Amino acid sequence: MSTAIVITSGKGGVGKTTSSANIGTALALQGKKVCMVDLDIGLRNLDIVMGLENRIVFDIVDVVNGECELSQALVHDKRVPGLALLPAAQHRDKFVITPEQSKQIVDNLGELFDFIILDCPAGIEHGFRVAVAGAHQALVITTPENAAVRDADRVIGMLESANIMSPKLVINRIRPKMVRSGDMLDIDEIVQLLGIDLIGIVPDDETVISNANKGEPTVLKPDSKASLAYRNIARRILGDTVPLMSLEDEPTGLWSRMRRLISGR
Amino acid sequence: MPAEETPTLKANIKPPVLVKLTKDGLLFLLDERCEFVDLIEHLKGLLFGETEAAFEGTKVKVAVDYGNRELDSGEVRDLLDVFLQKDNFVLVEWGSNTETRRTWAQTRKHLPKQNIFKGTVRAGQRLVFDGDVVVIGDVNPGGEVVASGDVYVFGKLAGVAHSGATGNRQTIIAAADFSPMQLRIASIVSRAPEENGKYLRTFMEFAYLRDDGMAVDKLKYLHWAGYQPTVPVATEEEAL
Repeated sequence: MSTAIVITSGKGGVGKTTSSANIGTALALQGKKVCMVDLDIGLRNLDIVMGLENRIVFDIVDVVNGECELSQALVHDKRVPGLALLPAAQHRDKFVITPEQSKQIVDNLGELFDFIILDCPAGIEHGFRVAVAGAHQALVITTPENAAVRDADRVIGMLESANIMSPKLVINRIRPKMVRSGDMLDIDEIVQLLGIDLIGIVPDDETVISNANKGEPTVLKPDSKASLAYRNIARRILGDTVPLMSLEDEPTGLWSRMRRLISGR
Repeated sequence: MPAEETPTLKANIKPPVLVKLTKDGLLFLLDERCEFVDLIEHLKGLLFGETEAAFEGTKVKVAVDYGNRELDSGEVRDLLDVFLQKDNFVLVEWGSNTETRRTWAQTRKHLPKQNIFKGTVRAGQRLVFDGDVVVIGDVNPGGEVVASGDVYVFGKLAGVAHSGATGNRQTIIAAADFSPMQLRIASIVSRAPEENGKYLRTFMEFAYLRDDGMAVDKLKYLHWAGYQPTVPVATEEEAL
């Protein structure tokens, strides 16, 4: 039995594609067979973030049109065993795929993989319906900004009407300092408003950007906090109980340690 | 003949005596079609049988409406006797098509529809109701609840609420956690007051219209606003 998870947000630029790449890779690192499907047809990005752009021959539209077999279009990632990508088409219109066709592809992939990660385009129109059609579960990505939270709220409502109940929430790009100073929405506030389960928080981390540019998902570099955050999300998807990571920077200097000791924090 | 059978059938299903609770007391509706013997038997059973306890206690005003039944003087005496045997009954009205009955039927007809919505009203969702609505859940920013009657939110109201959407200025908007983005009552639109850039957030408050605009007050002052809540004046007691 495979699980298809759609990664969506409503708003653009909150980190859907980056999250798809990292969560997919992290699940594969846990020994699962994972296929990432880029459904942002016409604006494909997932292959770039994964560094697989130069190996694409066929894409999802070719599969739908019967120009190639599903297995021919899959790009297998050589760094992580069990990880594959079904790329989107770059030069086609997004209306070439109907929700029924995308559901069929997801069902077919379900026979080959344990997890199917569906990277949803921004917006709530046709592309969203195509991405959601075959999904069993959903992860809603948001950032601690009012606009992103508002769009996430809208998307949760739409997921519910598409019969995907209890989506899980990922809060991306948290800046601990700004949250502490009250300049950024805090996690509790967002979770309370959206009223769905939180599955992970990802701190804002510059290495995520540089790694995406290099075509390497951050989870492959175990040294950053964002990497750990994405691995934790993958473990929670697999059913492990992992406590939320602390966003506080561990004090390293002598003074801050002493201050910590005295204040008892 | 089916045309004549229908009323008798109806009379068989409906008990011969209906008791209604009104603002002032009790209203007895006596069936006009069934046999008089059945009627008086049922009434006696109701007042002195197993359900006797329900009709005891303090003095209560009683109206009796026997519909279009034609009673001879003996029957009137028998029927009156039954009611007079109850010490706490004060007979205020007696006849066919009584005033009490008409008022009761009126209030029943004008009782606004009452809706209950369970769940969260999320951004982009707009719910429209005929009559009053109780939302059990939150109304998130960007969500909208519209009703021709009152809007009550059993949760956090952070979105837009519109009461009296068809023009009723007597309606209110109330919420347990009251921090609306915008309020509309009839055709008046108002924003929540801001303090230091943050919206007002209070608990158990309601908004209503005054002559000079919209006002917000604690829910316990609901009666000060001159607002007449729609209490169900007639409750069904047909099971009696």
